[in-house]
Amino acid sequence: MSYYWSLIGPLAVILSAVILRQRLDSRWFKRIAIWVGLVFLALAGLVFHGLLAGHWQAVFLATTGFVALTSAWDSVYWLREHRHISPHRYYLWWGLFWAALLVISISQNLALSWLAMEFSTLASGALIIEMGDQHSLEAAWKYIVIASVGLVLGLIGIVFVYASLKFQGLAWHTLDYSNLRTQYKNVAPVVRQLATIFIVSGFGTKAGLVPFHTWLPDAHSEAPSPVSGLLSGILLGLSLFTVARFVSAVPVPSGAFLAGSQLLTIFGTVSLVVGSLALLVQHDIKRLLAYSSIEQVGIIAVALGVGTRAAFFAALLQFVFHAVIKSSLFYGAGHLSVSYGTKRLDGINGLISKSKAGSFGWALGMLALAGLPPLGLAYSEWLIIEQLWLQHSYVVVFLVTGALTLTFAALIHHMLGTLWFDNQPVLRARSSGHDTSVQGAI
Amino acid sequence: MNTMDLILFISAGALLWSRSIRLGIALLALEGALLSIMALTSEPLTWGSALMALATLAVKAGLIPAVLYRMMNSWPVEVRRDHPLPLWAYATALLVVIGTGHVMQLLGPAHLIQNRPAFFFSLSTIYLGMVMIVARRHLLSQITALVSIENGLVVLGISFSGSLPTFVELGILADLAIAVALLVWMGHRIHREFDTTDVVALQSLKG
Repeated sequence: MSYYWSLIGPLAVILSAVILRQRLDSRWFKRIAIWVGLVFLALAGLVFHGLLAGHWQAVFLATTGFVALTSAWDSVYWLREHRHISPHRYYLWWGLFWAALLVISISQNLALSWLAMEFSTLASGALIIEMGDQHSLEAAWKYIVIASVGLVLGLIGIVFVYASLKFQGLAWHTLDYSNLRTQYKNVAPVVRQLATIFIVSGFGTKAGLVPFHTWLPDAHSEAPSPVSGLLSGILLGLSLFTVARFVSAVPVPSGAFLAGSQLLTIFGTVSLVVGSLALLVQHDIKRLLAYSSIEQVGIIAVALGVGTRAAFFAALLQFVFHAVIKSSLFYGAGHLSVSYGTKRLDGINGLISKSKAGSFGWALGMLALAGLPPLGLAYSEWLIIEQLWLQHSYVVVFLVTGALTLTFAALIHHMLGTLWFDNQPVLRARSSGHDTSVQGAI
Repeated sequence: MNTMDLILFISAGALLWSRSIRLGIALLALEGALLSIMALTSEPLTWGSALMALATLAVKAGLIPAVLYRMMNSWPVEVRRDHPLPLWAYATALLVVIGTGHVMQLLGPAHLIQNRPAFFFSLSTIYLGMVMIVARRHLLSQITALVSIENGLVVLGISFSGSLPTFVELGILADLAIAVALLVWMGHRIHREFDTTDVVALQSLKG
């Protein structure tokens, strides 16, 4: 079943932005959010059976729709807090970004996935620029340049595969995943191997896999918070699953060095370790969440690298839980940084004395992200570790569990800091040039 | 045909080597015109290839160089030249060209490459563009490098299979046009906000 009709959703948002321009006010923000909600409900109803069966496309569409819905509602409040942002430009790029995400979710063709991913870079890059300060300009420049170069690498791999199968005369349908799955033996093993390396590195750049991740903490931390939710929760995962779909459709011969699954395991493990270590030393609330995304992408990549059906299911679960939790945390972080007037973690504290509901929501999100049972990520992470154990990947199990323990410790540490510790006296003392020691603050 | 591929490769090398932004933009226009001619001559003329040739000429030989030239002219003369290329960039450029030869050897038994010189020149162009993005510091140099990489990619497709599907080629072209428009918009703002065209200034986000 084709779900391309769902593009009516973003198209209506784009048209509203273009037609209404200056008249796009807060009443329209709510109308847009309600519209996104209706599209989500229609999508969820249609993919419901697929969801129950754990079909990946249904999962992608429902998750993208849900996070787009929460992002649209958060945009209503976020735009009230950021009155310098031009709403019609914001919704124009937001609509394009949502459209690109839907196309990646729906796409049955590798080239179309690539194009949608490239357009998602431009739309989300433009949204980062909308923030209008020096940091956002820097982040957007790095993001667009690095992600574009990465995607060029991916396209080289796609060209290799297309050239091998061009004899079929199917034009761009040559790159349909179904065609790749049946025809991959017509692609020479060495070409498959090279294409896999290019595609894993290229699309891996967009997924934020280490060492291609350098743009990610900057872009995710400087983007508008409702957009950070979509970037981190949806786009990273979709990019990674696109790699996994290619790797499973065009496998390299067994025993080959640096096969797709091996690359995913290696890059995934390195991302997990680097991401979790970086969490320990973060000072910015949104960069903390961005590095957590690198760590989460890492564990999804590790699961996809295992290659079993159960591991793929666990990766899908991890993607869904991460999307919901991380997007919510990004929205929360955006509002916290506005109400505290800073994004620095040492400036955001004592939340429990300011808002009981806010502190409960923040704590729940952080605990879920840390992987505390019985919250969702604990379950999917357990499934992934179980699959690694069953495959006798003991070294990876050791590294994954170590990194997850570090992540848990780091996130709990930062959560406690935001909830209880009150650094305001220290900060006030620093700004007035007085004693900056803890004793001085006391 | 291979003369044009060779010119493209030389142009990519000159782009990397030259500090003059004006020359870089002129080379980009030349590359765009070459690609347009290649689209017309690489296969029997169809509506698709004619459309592609026309679109390439308009965007790559006309629109993009014109926008970049206008941007450069709006800036003071002293920021119309890039910094000297670091020594490591020359060595890396040499290594990537040798590396391309190795990739060609690897792919040899697969009988995939229809036009070996075109493959060598195009993949080298892509890699030289990547070296340029890392080594060059001027905002406009990075944009020209990105366009040059994409030009190499189109020729890579030709060297393998005659051409890429028209849908994909048009998509890439539209994507490139939007990317350049965004980068130019950002370039103006970066120059205004940071009072420089040097990407080294973009280093405040760390950690």
